[in-house]
Amino acid sequence: MDFSVMMGILGDGFVLTAQIFAVTLVGSLPLGVVVALARMSRFKPLAWVAQLYISILRGTPLMLQLMAIMFGPYYLLGMQMGPDWKFTACAIGFIINYAAYFAEIYRSGIQSIPRGQYEAAAVLGYSRAQTFLKIVLPQVIKRILPAMGNEVITLVKDTSLAFVLGIAEMFSAAKALAAREVSMLPYAIAALIYWVFCLLIEFILNRLEKKLDYYHD
Amino acid sequence: MDNNAVVTLSHAKKAFGGNEVLKDLSLTVNRGDVLAIIGPSGGGKSTLLRCLTLLETLDSGELSYGDLAVTTAGPDGRAVYGGKAVLAEAKTRFGLVFQNFNLFPHYTVLKNVADAPICVQKRPREEAEAQARELLAKMGLAGKEDMVPCELSGGQQQRVAIARALALNPDVLYFDEPTSALDPELTQDVLRVIRDLAAEHMTMVIVTHEMAFARDVADQLIFMDDGRVVESGRAVDVIGNPTHERTRAFLSRYEQG
Repeated sequence: MDFSVMMGILGDGFVLTAQIFAVTLVGSLPLGVVVALARMSRFKPLAWVAQLYISILRGTPLMLQLMAIMFGPYYLLGMQMGPDWKFTACAIGFIINYAAYFAEIYRSGIQSIPRGQYEAAAVLGYSRAQTFLKIVLPQVIKRILPAMGNEVITLVKDTSLAFVLGIAEMFSAAKALAAREVSMLPYAIAALIYWVFCLLIEFILNRLEKKLDYYHD
Repeated sequence: MDNNAVVTLSHAKKAFGGNEVLKDLSLTVNRGDVLAIIGPSGGGKSTLLRCLTLLETLDSGELSYGDLAVTTAGPDGRAVYGGKAVLAEAKTRFGLVFQNFNLFPHYTVLKNVADAPICVQKRPREEAEAQARELLAKMGLAGKEDMVPCELSGGQQQRVAIARALALNPDVLYFDEPTSALDPELTQDVLRVIRDLAAEHMTMVIVTHEMAFARDVADQLIFMDDGRVVESGRAVDVIGNPTHERTRAFLSRYEQG
């Protein structure tokens, strides 16, 4: 097979990989905030539900979760899902799974902000929403950036789990190519592309960290 | 009631669990007065300030700012706090300077001072920033507007915190041991600023361990111990001629130290 044809197939796979990656971040970064706030709620039942959510999603394999969401509607409810369902199920699975991890990172960040910051804001008359959005959250972002970077890098490689749903992302493409060509080369190229993608993310994260380096506390 | 009173607190009680921290405490601060509160650690001074600044709620007792009743006595004697609007209005009437400054580290000096006037009081940005610059200049911090707090010394940070509290034009300014976290040489700058404010007849309540400062700057002084006012009067009298045994014992420890 022509090398350029192989690269084209891997490239198509990479587009799907990047889509799963982007959709997951767009969904799970804000959902994580909601879960973290629920987890810290003074309304105990809500906190328990959030804790259970986090426990289940962190405590079971993501691959299993993807399959449960993919096939659950049919086996539990007898619903026939359309051809688009594959990608939607994949996105839902990744988003709710990553939201659980992000929630715990957010919580660690939020709880690390000194009480005095809340008290100063309260005395100055900031509302609770203002206090969270203007005073607490920006400081939390700086503190959790390294931990978030870890998760985001992990996500790049976790996208390969979409393989179990028959989504032709880059790992699936590499596997099919390797079988057809009886060659390890497609795997090696895929690995290189994953790594370069991660390098790019590391670069962006470093820039962000530098940007927030204008103060320390 | 004295219509000159900026803050009136009567029969305040506060307990944490079974531990009574404020036991039937009353005080009045009149416009232009400087009140110093001294006393041993654990005597309830900080809790008193926290109740006055609505960071803690009173169990019972009445608190008002000028004509604004923040709490009223419920039928069972417990303090009943006013609604959201009352509490929001009350917060415009006082400012608090913390022992540890509690500046917002991610904001510039200027934004630390000007943000609450803009975002809470909804004042125009230009006006709020102009006032903030003026206040910072008064604190000896001209030229530091675009720095962030971590670039300043402790004494400078505390002066930013004073400017931040003043920016909301409060009727009364509370200080919670404003120099306890500072090196001795930085303490003087902060005390000088407070002296200047006293000379301008800013109404202030200062919890402090600086006895000489309390004597020189405060009009009135309260010695607090075990959740009560043990002795109160003119600052010079209480420090110069304490009548109560506990006050004497407390002050003599400072003279020796």
